[in-house]
Amino acid sequence: MTTTAPALPAAPRPSAASTRELIMPAMLALIWILFALLSPQFLSPRNLSMLMIELSVTATLAVGVLLVLLPGHTDLSVGAGAGLMGGTAAVLVNQHGWSAPLALLVSFVVGLTLYAGLGWFIVKNRIQAFIATLGGLLTFKGVFWLVIQSHTVPVTRDGRDNLYSLLTTYYLSPAAGWALAAAVVALLVFLQSRARARRRAIGARVEDFEVAYLKTFIAAQGIALVVLVCNQFRGVPLSFVILCAVATAVHTLTRHTPFGRHLYAIGGNEEAAVISGVPVGKTVIIAFTLLGGIVAITGFMQTAYIGNSTTTVGDLMELDAIAACVIGGTSLKGGRGSVLGALFGALIMASLLNGMTLLAVSPELKFIVRGLVLAFAVWMDVRFGKK
Amino acid sequence: MNPLLEARHLTKSFPGVVALRDVSFDLRAGEIHALCGENGAGKSTLIKTLSGIHPFGSYEGEILVDGKRAEFRSLRDAEAAGLAVIYQELALVEEMSVAENIFLGAERRRGPWVDWDRAYADAAELLARFRIELDPDTPVRDLGVGQKQLVEIVKALNKRSRILILDEPTAALAEHEVAILLRIVRELRATGVGCIYISHKLGEVKSLADRITVLRDGASITTLPAAEADIPTIIRHMVGREIKDLFPRNVGQAASLPGGTTGGRPVSSGSSLLQVQNLSASPDAESPARLQNISFAVAAGEVLGIGGLMGAGRSELLQHLFGAWGVRQGGEVTLGGDAYPEPTPRESIRRGLVLVTEDRKRLGLHLEQPIGFNLSLSSLDRLNPGTFLDETAEEPANRRFFDALRIKAPGLETVVGGLSGGNQQKVVLGKALMTEPQVVFLDEPTRGIDVGAKLEVYHLINELTAQGKAVVLVSSELPELMGMSDRIVMLHEGRVGGEFTRDQFNQEALLAAAMGNQSTVAG
Repeated sequence: MTTTAPALPAAPRPSAASTRELIMPAMLALIWILFALLSPQFLSPRNLSMLMIELSVTATLAVGVLLVLLPGHTDLSVGAGAGLMGGTAAVLVNQHGWSAPLALLVSFVVGLTLYAGLGWFIVKNRIQAFIATLGGLLTFKGVFWLVIQSHTVPVTRDGRDNLYSLLTTYYLSPAAGWALAAAVVALLVFLQSRARARRRAIGARVEDFEVAYLKTFIAAQGIALVVLVCNQFRGVPLSFVILCAVATAVHTLTRHTPFGRHLYAIGGNEEAAVISGVPVGKTVIIAFTLLGGIVAITGFMQTAYIGNSTTTVGDLMELDAIAACVIGGTSLKGGRGSVLGALFGALIMASLLNGMTLLAVSPELKFIVRGLVLAFAVWMDVRFGKK
Repeated sequence: MNPLLEARHLTKSFPGVVALRDVSFDLRAGEIHALCGENGAGKSTLIKTLSGIHPFGSYEGEILVDGKRAEFRSLRDAEAAGLAVIYQELALVEEMSVAENIFLGAERRRGPWVDWDRAYADAAELLARFRIELDPDTPVRDLGVGQKQLVEIVKALNKRSRILILDEPTAALAEHEVAILLRIVRELRATGVGCIYISHKLGEVKSLADRITVLRDGASITTLPAAEADIPTIIRHMVGREIKDLFPRNVGQAASLPGGTTGGRPVSSGSSLLQVQNLSASPDAESPARLQNISFAVAAGEVLGIGGLMGAGRSELLQHLFGAWGVRQGGEVTLGGDAYPEPTPRESIRRGLVLVTEDRKRLGLHLEQPIGFNLSLSSLDRLNPGTFLDETAEEPANRRFFDALRIKAPGLETVVGGLSGGNQQKVVLGKALMTEPQVVFLDEPTRGIDVGAKLEVYHLINELTAQGKAVVLVSSELPELMGMSDRIVMLHEGRVGGEFTRDQFNQEALLAAAMGNQSTVAG
């Protein structure tokens, strides 16, 4: 999360919102302290690396789903879609002998196309996304099983590692990790100082230098801490780098482009958005298309994590993704939410699952705890979210 | 004998406005008592006070039912006392059948279950009693507006209401439906039901009512027997006020708004920026036309006022031209010299036409978002030619309009939902003006804002015309329309009822045009 884009100085916010923003970090800290006390292994470099890989899958999908939640839509089909796209790539590699990069690329394009079609269907026919994507869930699931013939298809051919299998098993070398971290920090500093210079040029209020310096310094330390911990195990996981790239891209899209403004405008008040000249249909279709690409990426990572494509890949992932967004303060009515929030939500969900697995909590109880945490988060949001 | 319903010295204030001043009013059993008045005269407030929507304690004065003091704390209380209100906005559940709607909230039961057989039989009987030819099985969504109105009345009667309040019941009805409705109201009168009847259609009022009360500016001006009231008299009572110099229409003013010319000389009229010829439009492809054969033109530097009664099609006309309402059935529109046959809001804004809607909370603003987000929303494409938002272009633009419009708020980051009505309206105006339009549509731009903010809006209109823009102003308030317009087109039931130049402005004439010149027909 520390590589999210170049933030312009944060806007002053009403105090109710800042209470709300403090709840999630507090909840996360509580969960981590609890698990650390109950299980010493929780904070081990090895487990934290595993947690980062698990987080990568959930969080990437959550960030994608955010794109359609912001304009007030939803998507129940992303779990099945992830399974389908992962399965397609696996079949192309394992049974047809395609090279992994080509198989992933083709499957990625299939993802974009399917979700562009889904978005078009929803926009043109004014069908509720809930129903349309429920249909997508069932259809994608069926097609997925057809594609893999309801078998177990490894992501490798003849057991040789390829780009596909490396998605969740490759770790950056310690040196590469540090180099990447240094590059990211340098980029942050560059963007930050450029934004300050621009603001000063137009006579806008600029954050105190000390505050900006402190923020950048803390971010840099966070990045360094992540690399340090990872390097004590095998290095920075490739999947985590993928998550950071996707999250940065979506953050930039939502916060720093007219497209992103339009997403918030549509979700906040669609009728007013239309009158204001926002291209509502086009924006929603693009959001679904981008989601399709992210669904494919998630599917690749999840399938690679398991090692092969089986009928259960992607099950319930859509709910985890939506839950992560909601825990992170996204409104299901649209118009409110952020990438940072979705990442926090995903981290809470992933930490819960990881910690409970370490403690050998029964699957039954795992479901119940996750459900209760979701309900609690929504309750907190309603309780403290009102202005 | 006590009147059925009586109001004594009612005064009802809202923050900054006295909506009713010392109004006394009574309704006898077996009487139709009409309420007349301009939009904003206090009719709706009176009804809401009588029916408990403005609860007991929120007004001064007293309400008596059968001579006994009534303290309605909600509409439910009022209904329990035998009162029923039928609003213009229908309160039917579209997906339910006629019978289900009639008994909604008063279901026919057998034990814990709904007795559908009896409900449908009773509904059929009720409908038959009023000779309404409707199948109780029909889903309400399949009914026309008039039929829905009748279902509403039957629903009210099922509750054994003795006092029926009808708010503009015939505004949306076709001739034959009006006839059925009037017949039913007369039949009810014969059974002793008292009826408060609100209508802008004075001919209808005069032929139906026993007595007529005229409200103006929240006060009851007079109550006369219908037999003694001729329509010109009623109109004179309705209008009756003198126009103070509240409307500073000033043709030669210098522009100080961002993006304006600095010359201060109005662009000479003659070059019309928007021309509409024989325009007809309907809500959707199947419906009959709501706007028929409308023609007008607006020149640079001119304010064209559009007036008319509620439901005359003023907002629909603006929204249609802008691309946000209806389907064009015919006619030609020219914007800035080019034909503009298929408007969409986005394209309109690109071509320099912008709409400030009447309903600013629903259509104008993103209430949860900051002022800056709202101001620049329509101008993002123009301000950001590249892929990314260019803060160095956006923030100064926002700042300029924030300052020029004197929006009273801590800063651009302040969330719009917490602003006063006047400041919210300035944000909507700023959003529209930032698009650098040539033609500005203003739909009720001063509704619900205080006098000071109104004046600022009027000055803004002057500045726009001084910059050579064309303004189309829709307003329900005749004094505002007459004060601010260079020309006025009055709409009547979706058609042009009359066009007036400034030297022809005259409240009686305008109102008569809005009413389809009934005074000459029915008077």
